[in-house]
Amino acid sequence: MSPRRPAEFLNRELSWLAFNARVLEEAEDAGTPLLERLRFYCIFHSNLDEFFMVRVASLMRKVEEGDRRPDPAGLPPAEQLELIRSRAAELAGRAENLYYNELLPALAREGIRILEADGLAAEQKAYLDDCFEREIFPVLTPVALREGGAFPYIAGLALYLAVRLVPDSEGEPGARLAVVQVPAGLPGLVRLPAADGRSYCWLSDAVRGRLAGLFRGYRVVEAGAFRLTRDSELELDDEGSDDYLRMLESGLKQRKRARSVRLQYERGLSPHLLAGLQQGLEVEDRALVAGRGPLDPRPLMGIADMAGFGHLRFAPQPPLRPPVFEQRRSIFEIIREGDIVLHHPYDSFEPVIDFIRSAADDPDVLAVKQTLYRTSGLASPVVAALIRAAEAGKQVTVLVELTARFDEERNISWARHLEEAGAHVIYGVAGLKVHAKIALVVRREADGIRRYVHLGTGNYNERTARVYTDIGLLTAAEEFGADASGFFNTITGYSEPPAFSRLVMAPHQMRQAVLGLIRREIDRARAGQSAGIAAKMNSLVDPEIIEELYRASGAGIRVRLNVRGICCLRPGVRGLSENIRVVSIVDRYLEHSRVFLFDNGGAPEVYVSSADWMPRNLDRRIELMFPILQEDWKRRVAAHLEAQFRDDCKARVLGADGTYERAGARRPGAFRVQEEIYRRLSAEYDEVRRTPPVRFVPLERKENKG
Amino acid sequence: MPNPPAALMAAIDIGASAIRMDVAEVREDGGIRVLDSLKKGVQLGKDAFTTGTLSEESIRSACAALQDFKRVMDTYGVLRYRAVATSAVRESSNSDRFLDRILMSTGLDVEIIDGPEENRLTLSAVLEALRGAPALEGKSLLVEVGGGSADLTLLAGQEPVQSGTFPLGSIRLRAGVRPDVGTHDKWVRYLARQISNIISTVKGSIALAEADHFIALGGDVRFAGRILGGPAGAACRSIPRAAFESFVESVCKLTPEALVRKYGLSYPDAETLVPALMVYVQLLRQTAAQEVIITEASIRAGILQDLAPAEESARRSKLTQQILSAARSLGRKYQYDEEHAERVRALAELIFDQLQAEQRFDENHRLYLQVASLLHDIGLFVGSRAHHKHSYYLISQSDIFGLRPREREIIANVARYHRRALPQRTHLPFVSLERDERTLVSKLAAILRVANALDREHLQKIRDLRVAREGDQIVLTVPGAADLTMERLALATRSDLFREVFGKRIILREAPQSV
Repeated sequence: MSPRRPAEFLNRELSWLAFNARVLEEAEDAGTPLLERLRFYCIFHSNLDEFFMVRVASLMRKVEEGDRRPDPAGLPPAEQLELIRSRAAELAGRAENLYYNELLPALAREGIRILEADGLAAEQKAYLDDCFEREIFPVLTPVALREGGAFPYIAGLALYLAVRLVPDSEGEPGARLAVVQVPAGLPGLVRLPAADGRSYCWLSDAVRGRLAGLFRGYRVVEAGAFRLTRDSELELDDEGSDDYLRMLESGLKQRKRARSVRLQYERGLSPHLLAGLQQGLEVEDRALVAGRGPLDPRPLMGIADMAGFGHLRFAPQPPLRPPVFEQRRSIFEIIREGDIVLHHPYDSFEPVIDFIRSAADDPDVLAVKQTLYRTSGLASPVVAALIRAAEAGKQVTVLVELTARFDEERNISWARHLEEAGAHVIYGVAGLKVHAKIALVVRREADGIRRYVHLGTGNYNERTARVYTDIGLLTAAEEFGADASGFFNTITGYSEPPAFSRLVMAPHQMRQAVLGLIRREIDRARAGQSAGIAAKMNSLVDPEIIEELYRASGAGIRVRLNVRGICCLRPGVRGLSENIRVVSIVDRYLEHSRVFLFDNGGAPEVYVSSADWMPRNLDRRIELMFPILQEDWKRRVAAHLEAQFRDDCKARVLGADGTYERAGARRPGAFRVQEEIYRRLSAEYDEVRRTPPVRFVPLERKENKG
Repeated sequence: MPNPPAALMAAIDIGASAIRMDVAEVREDGGIRVLDSLKKGVQLGKDAFTTGTLSEESIRSACAALQDFKRVMDTYGVLRYRAVATSAVRESSNSDRFLDRILMSTGLDVEIIDGPEENRLTLSAVLEALRGAPALEGKSLLVEVGGGSADLTLLAGQEPVQSGTFPLGSIRLRAGVRPDVGTHDKWVRYLARQISNIISTVKGSIALAEADHFIALGGDVRFAGRILGGPAGAACRSIPRAAFESFVESVCKLTPEALVRKYGLSYPDAETLVPALMVYVQLLRQTAAQEVIITEASIRAGILQDLAPAEESARRSKLTQQILSAARSLGRKYQYDEEHAERVRALAELIFDQLQAEQRFDENHRLYLQVASLLHDIGLFVGSRAHHKHSYYLISQSDIFGLRPREREIIANVARYHRRALPQRTHLPFVSLERDERTLVSKLAAILRVANALDREHLQKIRDLRVAREGDQIVLTVPGAADLTMERLALATRSDLFREVFGKRIILREAPQSV
């Protein structure tokens, strides 16, 4: 047998962990403002939680089912799990050091103190006693474990204290175990009175120090925190049921008993206590994770978000309003004059909300159709406008994707509201998650029906639109309108998919379309014409597309990829991918837009897409890719894409070995794309505002008075 | 202020393998712009061409699809539509029940159309699609392969010279040549032989070899056109014969499963693709055509053209003229008093105009009144006693171009009541009408009686009559000082029915002479 060649593909799980390591690096970077470092630290942890709930859980299931098939990188599930656990442990260790050695001291220097129980002043202790008595004690529910009894229900990702008890008096039965949930409804960090600055202590510590009163007749000898992560993957069988909503609700309930994938516990927990937990929760040895740092750091996000402390944050970049929207004209009139491309969060999301709002309130609008994947629920101005439109008697069709991971419970209630208002609500398409972001407004105008379309890469969520980079297109072009109608007729089940003239839809068409675009570049290159590929996305996993990109590299085409998260393509390998360069940007905004540029022999084409190049997006989701056709916008989108590859501040370059290195030395004045684009757009808009529109003022002969 | 509603309309076509709908609007320049095109696969043909009965499952799917289509119509506020069903429904034993189920569940009134009407609609769509393209010299063969049958029309220029419907539908062919005969290749060979057998009989009725051009319609060939001829949207595509032949050859090698994978087709579409394309290519080989002209024209485009207000009124007025001239030639056959007939027709129309809005009369009603006015006295040819009854008989038994038997029956009844007895429950021809038809007959007869009274002496005394409404009276103002005594007398007896059905009195008044 020949020696094992390095696989052509990188393992997606390890690549994901490498991404989370880049997030952690931002927290570790002393050049990052302190509260932003704290935020990155929190994001690192919540990313990791989700990773365990979804990916690790899925691998564990595979192992349990005896699935030994290797992934494209050649690793069988069991081997992947082992690598993941050790890499995750290493990163968690780094995060713990960061928290205790850098973040806590640095916060303290700014007057923000998170105190340990033994570091409290007497009056702070008294305050906590009082607080415990009034607010905490009433909601505590200690549960003692009985020999042979069922283990009490432990909620996933919630923080608990495991308690070891011994009887006060002789003659009582021996030691017992109990668990107490740290109340999830109270702030995880308790603000304490302090002479200066801000002082906090962990709610879990406050409870731990006051357990004595909870167990009469027993003495608490030990209490340690633990936190369980459960398998989250919804696996719904949607055969033969037409009430998807009810089914999902029952799915939510079922999930609460899902298998344990990780048990975090405080280092120092006695073996006796740990063994009791492990047995009761059916946790395998490898899933045990000991730690010191806060097991659930999510409450720290509240500190990162608190008002004030501007000097500890990134300089604000308030969303810009493109000057075209400053005119006092209807948004429909503005869109009719030409396409508009918005680049969020640099550009404000307000015009998009305004688009839906105007549609709701305009008497000539006949119908509004929209996909909603993740919104801010009933607080969402988009949802409010849709409800208003439905109440006004317009035809409102909303495709709600309830299986958006972890957001289901929030989705269900506002979906019901929409339905009650008279909207036609569709709860997903069987077997396919609807991930496309599209809104269609059908309007009756003097010269006939006109359709307005918004297409984008981001959800209709004004909150994420401030932190995710996304691209949106507003257009009144006929072909887009016709395609959008066809799209909604398809996903509502009214019609079979038509042949689109502009949109490319997944599943079915998109994979072939993307492969076709790459192949066309290869043909161009072979014919001696100019060819080149630049693409930006969140994840690059799809083996078929990666192989086509390898072929492009083999044809001598320069392929530049900006892949923020998982990248299974191995760049820079001679004979395979020497012409491919992969960079990743992790900065203040979450890179989220997907933009593809194909040189096409000197007649470049630019596409924007809701889909990553992953099998799940191309095969099991409904997604949309669309071209940017208007020359000025095409140039701008291409220029912003180009800028992504010039970043030498927050960009990392992927090496052939799967590791990432900083793209530049980060000198002062380095090119930082997330600031550069903002600067460019501000300057561009200022320029437009400085150049007043030409106004034609008729000069009239002055009346000769007298 | 909301914008005024645009002229919106919908055409629905219930075919053998799918139900389709186009929603369209009429542009200011009179052109038709399709806004939404929907298609839902429903295998009505599979039922119709095998068991002869539409299955409950198919009926349900069809109703569900049409409910969805109706929702789309409602989104646009479409009121004007025509829904037609073709061969699959036509050939099913339970088609009445099927149409009723649709009406009950969707409110859509579907009519079954026959082959010639289907061809007329298709031809008008094709001619429209080819407008602007260079004129086709010589003869053209127009081919549409559907699920149940293939419609062929041979055109000389734009005029159809031969046409026919042949059992070459893709679903019918599949049902005849079962795919389990062995390998896919073997099945394709069987199919080819089957098709060529049928085509040899086609040659007897259509001179395929004379065709210089080959115009192809239908979903399967449109798919081929899109693959071979770039993006969708063009009204016509021209594909060189060789390219079309080699494409069909390559597609024939693929099983439906492979077609689904390769082209993302739905399975039912993939099933019909090979048989349909084989029919096209074999027919093509019979002609001298060097290219295949694939048009997006469809029966729906033909329907939309009919529905478009401009077209609709042009078509209507042409048809109305044809019907009236047929009525006049019938009148001449029975030696009618042409001047009296025309006078009564004109007077009746003047009164009709006054009542049209209030009574919601439509243009069909006007037509019935016109024909009844022209022919009310033709019974005199048989004998003057009870001539109104002879008029009834002659009208109801004569074939008048453009009028359906039911319409003739209404007109005959109107003519019958132009004099003497009022409509009664004991009159058999009258009670055999539907209730709303009886009401219509009474109203139109009431007008006719008045109009006839005004030309009492058959002298056309009353010219330049002005008709106006004054409260509950209809006032007829006659300029000039002619003696109207006779007319007043006649009116007094003949406006009985008028008062009864409209609740209005007729007053005859002389206008003051202008100096």
